[in-house]
Amino acid sequence: MTENTKQNYLNHPKGIMSWLLTLDHKRIGLMYLFSGILFFFLGGLIALVMRFELAAPGNDIISNDVYNNAYTLHGAIMIFLFIIPAIPGALGNILLPLMVGAKDVAFPRLNLASFYIYSFGALFAMYTIINGGVDTGWTFYTPYSTQSTSNVVPMTLGIFIIGFSSILTGLNFIATIHKMRIPGLTWYKLPLFVWALYGTSLVQITATPVLAITMVLLMLERFLGIGIFDPALGGDPVLYQHFFWFYSHPAVYIMILPAFGIISEIIPVHSRKKIWGYKFIAYSTLSIAFIGFLVWGHHMFTSGQSVFSQIVFSFITYFVGIPTGVKIFSWILTMYKGQVSFTPPMMYALSFLFLFTIGGLTGIFLGAVALDIHLHDTYFVVAHFHYVMQGGTIVAFLGGLHHWWPKSFGVMYNQTVANIAALGVFIGFNGTFFPQFLLGLRGMPRRYATYDEQFVELHSYSTFWSGILGISIFIAVMNLFWSFIKKNKVDPGSNPWGGMTLEWTHTSSPPHPHNFEEDPVLQHGPYDYDKVIVEKTYKK
Amino acid sequence: MSEHHITPLRTYLIIAATLLFLSGVTVWVSYVDLGALNIVVAMLVATLKASLVAFFFMHLLWDDKKNLTMFLMSLMFFGIFVTITLLDTEFRGDLGLNPETKDPINKRAAFYDTLPLTDTHGHPVDEHSDDHHEDKDHH
Amino acid sequence: MSGHDPNSPRHLKHYFHDVNQQYETSKFAMWAFILTEVLTFAGLFVAYIVYRSWYPDMFIDAHKLLDVNKGLMNTIVLITSSLTMALAIWAIQKNNRKLSVLMLVATFLFAFVFLGIKYLEYSHKFEVGQLPGEFYSYMGPDAVHLNNPHIFFSIYFIMTGLHGLHVAIGMGLIAWLIYSTYKGNLTSEYYTPMEMIGIFWHLVDLIWIYLFPLFYLIG
Repeated sequence: MTENTKQNYLNHPKGIMSWLLTLDHKRIGLMYLFSGILFFFLGGLIALVMRFELAAPGNDIISNDVYNNAYTLHGAIMIFLFIIPAIPGALGNILLPLMVGAKDVAFPRLNLASFYIYSFGALFAMYTIINGGVDTGWTFYTPYSTQSTSNVVPMTLGIFIIGFSSILTGLNFIATIHKMRIPGLTWYKLPLFVWALYGTSLVQITATPVLAITMVLLMLERFLGIGIFDPALGGDPVLYQHFFWFYSHPAVYIMILPAFGIISEIIPVHSRKKIWGYKFIAYSTLSIAFIGFLVWGHHMFTSGQSVFSQIVFSFITYFVGIPTGVKIFSWILTMYKGQVSFTPPMMYALSFLFLFTIGGLTGIFLGAVALDIHLHDTYFVVAHFHYVMQGGTIVAFLGGLHHWWPKSFGVMYNQTVANIAALGVFIGFNGTFFPQFLLGLRGMPRRYATYDEQFVELHSYSTFWSGILGISIFIAVMNLFWSFIKKNKVDPGSNPWGGMTLEWTHTSSPPHPHNFEEDPVLQHGPYDYDKVIVEKTYKK
Repeated sequence: MSEHHITPLRTYLIIAATLLFLSGVTVWVSYVDLGALNIVVAMLVATLKASLVAFFFMHLLWDDKKNLTMFLMSLMFFGIFVTITLLDTEFRGDLGLNPETKDPINKRAAFYDTLPLTDTHGHPVDEHSDDHHEDKDHH
Repeated sequence: MSGHDPNSPRHLKHYFHDVNQQYETSKFAMWAFILTEVLTFAGLFVAYIVYRSWYPDMFIDAHKLLDVNKGLMNTIVLITSSLTMALAIWAIQKNNRKLSVLMLVATFLFAFVFLGIKYLEYSHKFEVGQLPGEFYSYMGPDAVHLNNPHIFFSIYFIMTGLHGLHVAIGMGLIAWLIYSTYKGNLTSEYYTPMEMIGIFWHLVDLIWIYLFPLFYLIG
């Protein structure tokens, strides 16, 4: 029994303070993971309440006002407290230094600071809930957000603060990727997850400052009536939308790029095959990050912006499809003739491919101005971004958790239960959101607590399956945590999937407090399954 | 860390003198009426000054070029932000279907109607007193 | 940390290979931070550009309410402070601690003067009611015909205010630099914090270089 004597980051050093003041990127990642999952469940719970309200027309469970608060908080919590920090903050923090062979991120203190800044911002968001919520929608569009009597200021202040955490994490990762790689680990030998984090971090540091200043201007508009966004004071509310979406469209890529990275790791490992088109995937990450800055106006096709800009935005929006398509085809070609094993991470990766493709393709519908005028603010849009955000990002996140769980914690979950839960997530998800495409096409507007009789059938389907979805996710996450309680430990030398990146080949599970017991030396590329045989080693 | 580049003292002094001189130039030019060119000249001078600061004071000239890339990237994204926003704001209401949207913002805010006239010190002007020039009705 | 050279310098963190890697990493991260700063101001510059093109005449007339002399004075003060900051780094590179401290103190004082002049400007604006947003109340003979001058003053106060905030933060950082240079913590071997704060301080100067013509010298 070596594991009891073996030193790892989980058991050394000991004590609550050694966690709260830790500078270890793995522990900080864990704290992000737990707080992220907490907010994920909170946001999910709110979603279920809304779904059950919508099971039948009329106000059955909650009033219109509560409903307005519910969708605002669901959006704000899921986006700002879970999805944006979760993958970079949790998986990124745990894995990035391991993957580049570093002992830590470039600035460990800054890393801890960004976790606490995030927590501090989250406090404001929680205060908002306790104090009666906020009802503007997560976008805080003016002029309503300057007039609403709900808690716009605490919520925007919270988002403002969380923005700094996001910036600092991005800054840290970029410096780490540029400067902390071990000798020999050149850019084209980096795992694609690192490329994805690089693209994400670039977007984080470039876009988030604009969000910060937008939130400041919104608060000033409320306090001083500065008149920049308020039409009654000679300002322009559409300008607010430009400011907001200059951040929030790239933010979509902050959410999805790390998911792409996870999928690029899972698929070659579980297909035992070299990734197809490494450079294509790497550069498509960067080009998505860049094009993401040019297309924000497709959120504003009905806002009254100039027709000239509508055409330009619509045109550029289609270009996002190219690098995204490159990725999807590369992943499919990676699986082709590989030894695909249906492990839990792979189940999620396959779900991702299916769901994200639907999400992406419907995005092209919405990028067309003429069609968007009809579909704007309907359930079609709701279904589209849930296919991207949940079907894409969250499914990939769950896949990544299952993939790196034995590595991060040295314990293995019950794979059968995990597979069943993954299937439940896939079916429940489609059952919930596919009817919403149809609802949207038939003209059901979003953000309403009630609706006409004609929509009742599709809405009740959606509600039924949302219950299945919720239960499946709950089971999936609980199954992971159950492995702690059962102490189903794996041997520290295990490499259960036969991964080839540094975190699998050069460090124990769970990793040493300083990551590597001796300085790692690169022996092969991240996906050289055609050259080297890495055994799947999984012992209890 | 002796391998770091040490900029000679002379360079710093020359750059600072140039910056001060250019500040004078930009003020002087602003009093010359060049029409639309005024803003162009002002921005050119400012950009020249900013480049001097960035390359010499901030050592970008001798630094790793990655640092320069970061800085230029920030300017590029600023350019994107401005350009694309102007595609909307400069062409607002371009179809002409709805004339109301053509000039949405040039309406004077309502609170001006309630403001009393003031003198240059911000004190309300008593409209009946004689020691001030007559202000017309401000509507 | 095992495997770490006990002879390595005190300021070298264990997760870096050598001093140079640490120095370059810090500096690169500083430039990434500068990028975020530029983009923070970018939002405000966009607001400026959009509103200036919507209200060209109002901007020209409203800028006449600002005091060019004070603006020019602040420009000179800030450029000089940039020079003294650069010289402080030059001095520490030459291992001349005394001169370095002196230059830092000069920088701090110039920053203080800058804020002092800014205070005079602001307090005059407050007195006459040339204020942002709904607090605007100045209806003097030179402003009475203007269309929504409060927007000009909103943008003016937000931009110069955010810039002033950066000056104040810079003063705090410089004060800390004075302390640690005086204590001898910074030497020609290790002056990374001074280099980084220097970059920050020059950025403050750089932004003012644009603010000055955009507000005070509209032709």
